[in-house]
Amino acid sequence: MKILVAVKQVAALEEDFEFRADGRDVDGDFLVMDLNEWDDYSLEEAVKIKEACGGAVEIVAVSVGPPTVDEALRKCLAKGADRAVRIWDEAMRGSDSIAVARILAAAARAEAPDLLFAGVQSSDQAVAATGIATAGFLGWPHAAVVSQFTYTPGAATAVLRRELEGGLLHELEIRTPAVLTIQLGINTPRYASLRSIKQAAAKPIELRTLADLSLNAAEVGEAGSSARVRRMYVPDKGRAELIEGSAAEQAKRLAAIIRESTGAA
Amino acid sequence: MARDPKHDVLFRPIKIGPKTLRNRFYQVPHCIGAGSDKPGFQAANRSIKAEGGWAGINTEYCSIHPESDDTHRLSARIWDAGDVRNLRAMTDHIHQFGALAGVELWYGASHAPCMESRATPRGPSQYASEFETLTYCKEMDLDDIACVQQYYVDAAKRSRDAGFDIVYVYGAHSYLPLQFLSPYYNKRKDKYGGSLENRARFWLETLEKVRHAVGADCAIATRFAVDTLYGDAGVEVERDGVKFVELADPLVDLWDVDVGDIAEWGEDAGPSRFYLQGHQVPWTRFIKQIAKKPVLGVGRFTDPEKMTEIVTKGIADIIGAARPSISDPWLPKKIEEGRYDDIRVCIGCNVCISRWEIGGPPMICTQNATAGEEYRRGWHPEKFPKRGSEDSVLVIGAGPSGAECARVLLERGYAVHLYDTAAKIGGHLNSVATLPGLGEWGYHRDYRELQINKLIKKNKSSQLALSQKPMTADAALGYGAEKIVVATGSSWNTDGTNCLSHDPIPGADAGRPDQLTPEQVLEGRKAIGKRVVILNADTYFMAPSLAEKLAVAGHEVTLVTGVHLANYMHFTLEYPNMMRRLHELHIREVHNAFASRIEKGRLEVYDIFGDGSKRTYRGPGVLPRDANRSHRWVEFDSLVLVTGRHSHAGLFKELKDRRAEWEKNGVKDVYVIGDAEAPRLIADATFSGHRLAREIEESNAQLPLPYKREVAVWGVAHLPGSRFEIEYKT
Repeated sequence: MKILVAVKQVAALEEDFEFRADGRDVDGDFLVMDLNEWDDYSLEEAVKIKEACGGAVEIVAVSVGPPTVDEALRKCLAKGADRAVRIWDEAMRGSDSIAVARILAAAARAEAPDLLFAGVQSSDQAVAATGIATAGFLGWPHAAVVSQFTYTPGAATAVLRRELEGGLLHELEIRTPAVLTIQLGINTPRYASLRSIKQAAAKPIELRTLADLSLNAAEVGEAGSSARVRRMYVPDKGRAELIEGSAAEQAKRLAAIIRESTGAA
Repeated sequence: MARDPKHDVLFRPIKIGPKTLRNRFYQVPHCIGAGSDKPGFQAANRSIKAEGGWAGINTEYCSIHPESDDTHRLSARIWDAGDVRNLRAMTDHIHQFGALAGVELWYGASHAPCMESRATPRGPSQYASEFETLTYCKEMDLDDIACVQQYYVDAAKRSRDAGFDIVYVYGAHSYLPLQFLSPYYNKRKDKYGGSLENRARFWLETLEKVRHAVGADCAIATRFAVDTLYGDAGVEVERDGVKFVELADPLVDLWDVDVGDIAEWGEDAGPSRFYLQGHQVPWTRFIKQIAKKPVLGVGRFTDPEKMTEIVTKGIADIIGAARPSISDPWLPKKIEEGRYDDIRVCIGCNVCISRWEIGGPPMICTQNATAGEEYRRGWHPEKFPKRGSEDSVLVIGAGPSGAECARVLLERGYAVHLYDTAAKIGGHLNSVATLPGLGEWGYHRDYRELQINKLIKKNKSSQLALSQKPMTADAALGYGAEKIVVATGSSWNTDGTNCLSHDPIPGADAGRPDQLTPEQVLEGRKAIGKRVVILNADTYFMAPSLAEKLAVAGHEVTLVTGVHLANYMHFTLEYPNMMRRLHELHIREVHNAFASRIEKGRLEVYDIFGDGSKRTYRGPGVLPRDANRSHRWVEFDSLVLVTGRHSHAGLFKELKDRRAEWEKNGVKDVYVIGDAEAPRLIADATFSGHRLAREIEESNAQLPLPYKREVAVWGVAHLPGSRFEIEYKT
């Protein structure tokens, strides 16, 4: 039995930052990189399944990205992944969620897992499409925003609960192989001990290229993406005004502001 | 990141007489335990603040003559050329960083007991000090007045020689000039007593003489308690206060104003338990309306917003700070650089002050473990040596000592895992900060929480592991860390073990429904009855704090105390208002009494001195005094045992016992810090964590390295040109 856990190294802003010269992203020098928070939970969910059945489960963490992504993959190895796979080719630079999903789907075909976990979304881009789009490319059953999961390795189906609006839960039975996007709070992710961090540092990270996955350059990167970032910017700050004076004066000024902003005469 | 432009006003230079302060941050005179006898300590502690951006930095109170000798407390002294030489180290080091150095010239009269010099202090009238025990002064005649004024002049000239830019005539805290001004001390009938003009005369003349002597070279400052808070028995701000400012304004270059006296100077250095930031403003705000010279005020200002408000609203021109500058010597620099998050905010516990009150051991600070250690241990508050090895460190316990240890190790670049069962950094401080008035103590936790989270982002192999299962010795040994630091804290005794009997009290058992430890009170899970007895053998804040908390919640509280209740709070200046609080809440206090046994709903109380006063030898097995027959029963619905604490030392002991397993697990050493080693002040727990993190590469890092001592050296005379040898006058 194998579980593929798709993970992403996300960026957080330093207190001060500058944009890249092309204006389409923040300059990498001003970003702090870390494993996406949701991925901590999906990895933990995989590790729990493995522990519950005594270990006959292989957990493979997979990520699309340049060598800097190894750091996030090592974190996965330290927290219980058996193998780590990084997929990269310079042609993949600029891939949107759909292009990444195409790459992950190719990796899933090669690995042939019983389950594919992804986070509901990434904390930096928050598109929330990669996991489910991967299911679309694979043509596998899928469920999004999973908050509870029950599965016995080897079984043909799994039972899960999804969060819906208004506090409702959706309980589903799903055939495997399946793609699930995992919600925060489904479990309590563990911390890696120093021993497992040291052991993870010595483990190999397997590299896959376009050719390894039988993809061509036109299917990935900007060429294979359906959306392209035009620019990234800090919006102008809103205005604030402190209204002073008597209650009547304040009410008068407030009414004038409302009239101005609603365009009323 | 640059500072917020709205704080620009704090960085505008301001002229004071012949000198210019580069900005509005000013360290008012405050004690540190260095004086003139520990010049290295004095120079390092003060100059780190100059480096950290303060514009003016002062000595502590500095005695002008052996007639003003505060021994057993520790002041600076500028009595002779020997003191000038030693204080020169301070001014030189401050000048290196572009700040001005000030000296607070002090004459104490009766408040200075002269226990070293054996001189007779002189005062405006003869009175017994309300602050010092058994000290009277001689009433000055006109010759005495001229003589003491000359002491000020001579000391001012020596100050100039020592390189000081600002010379104070110190009249706050009820020292000599204010004693002349205040009718509380001054009962004279001559031209130095009676009317305000007469009472002000000594101070004005002294300012004039000092100004004449050094005013061309030095800024003349005066520190003035504008209201002594006794109503018309002393100085009131809107009466004598503003009038004195009007009279003296032409003679000063800088007003340094506060409130209160010396006997209750916690009204000036207000502890956070009772006073918020800016608590003196309702009194000191009047001065700026009168003074044409720059005014500075204090009030534990730590927040740049509040400081900006003080300056822009015209309450003061300059932000004076003592405690905030101890807690964060780099406060101005951090504001200037926009590093607001990095400010180590003073918690207002007054543990710094406690050391002066105790009699002069080096100052300590709960927030800043490097305070007082700058010279002797070479600790800079903001600079850390790079790690000395690749060893990774597991710190078990994220309370004050564990969190500080982890923070400093992270600053040094070590891979650190900080591990705790609680969901939050802070250890017992998380519950202590919920006690009445102690909310600001939580800043100690907040600083470490924020810094550790920042540092861990940069140091990817490090981790903050909270909400974990209790760490076992097996798990610690197998964790993969080369070094293990046990910081598992302490807790209150459940069996009544105490400092008086050194044994449990028969019947004491916090496992029973009607008995509680302080932790159980704070957790709030155990029901507490109407009539509460707090049995106390602890000399700090826990018993009175719990009494206040429970009385406010509607319980009838009786404190039975076998030790001086809240004794340490004398030193932190919290004692007077704590006692007022207990009284206004109708808390019954039974002093010098403790418990011999406890039964359901009652405890047997005896008077500590209830046994016989005559001591005679009566043979083995028989006490040498008549038996104590003061025992009586006191009933309670709930009993709180504040009898003592014990370390959670089990994990450390087991790890030590299993030393044989260290090597195969890759463990090089195991340490214990903080309360897990021995229960202590939060400041000392923090220090022990900081100390280990600085010295962890040492071969036996459990024990501190020796520090650089500053003591008188045999063979060298204090006074330049004099002889050190024993010389009898025969």
